[in-house]
Amino acid sequence: MQLQDVPTEGLDEKYRDWIGFIAETHHASDPRVNDPVPFALLTKPLAEARVALLTTAGAHLDDQVPFHIETVAGDPSFREIPNDVDVRRIRFTHTHYDTSSAAKDPNVVLPITRLAELVERGRIGSASPVHFGMMGFNPNSGPVADELGPTIAERLVEHEVDVALFVPG
Amino acid sequence: MERAGIPTVVMSLRPEITYGVGVSRALYARFPMGNPLGEPDQPQQQHLVIETLLGIIESATEPRTFKEFPVRWRRWERWL
Repeated sequence: MQLQDVPTEGLDEKYRDWIGFIAETHHASDPRVNDPVPFALLTKPLAEARVALLTTAGAHLDDQVPFHIETVAGDPSFREIPNDVDVRRIRFTHTHYDTSSAAKDPNVVLPITRLAELVERGRIGSASPVHFGMMGFNPNSGPVADELGPTIAERLVEHEVDVALFVPG
Repeated sequence: MERAGIPTVVMSLRPEITYGVGVSRALYARFPMGNPLGEPDQPQQQHLVIETLLGIIESATEPRTFKEFPVRWRRWERWL
């Protein structure tokens, strides 16, 4: 499939407006940007690569503590979701998007079943033994950049993950 | 993660945030929040989006690669 670039004209201004809105309406705002943007190349064919899923859709298991949603400070924690889980055990705690599609089929934000099918077809080598659920409402992005990101990166390295797919809510 | 040597790709529903923050690779789809990979219980749709993400992992040669998914939500609806 031939893909077009997203037209980026005006996006910087819209981003500044968004950050201004967050700063006005929330106690904490610590916007971070990636500059320069880091870039790692895939070092093996996808057919040999291990893929992990990361979602900010507020995904957690039915026996894990839900994300904290009763605060304007956000919740920069994460939940580990085993690849071999029964997807019917996945719950979504997030108040900033309509979770009804995810509740019906968790694969719309955390495609564990689809990943297993890709392994079966040989398109990817394997799925990470663990995937990561986060809650995307974090108006203070400092802890996300300084703690959450590096902690999950360490886990991915421990699990010998080669590729990470990020899906929002 | 990229600094740890792990290539990443981000599914984006808010292009101004994706672009403003700056990510290594991203795919923007004109889908509603809550449905980033398509409709529930539509595995073929979901696979098409995921395959597009994987294709970006394979083909991108520089950071801030930002592509648009060529199917709009209204067309999905007509499929259903």
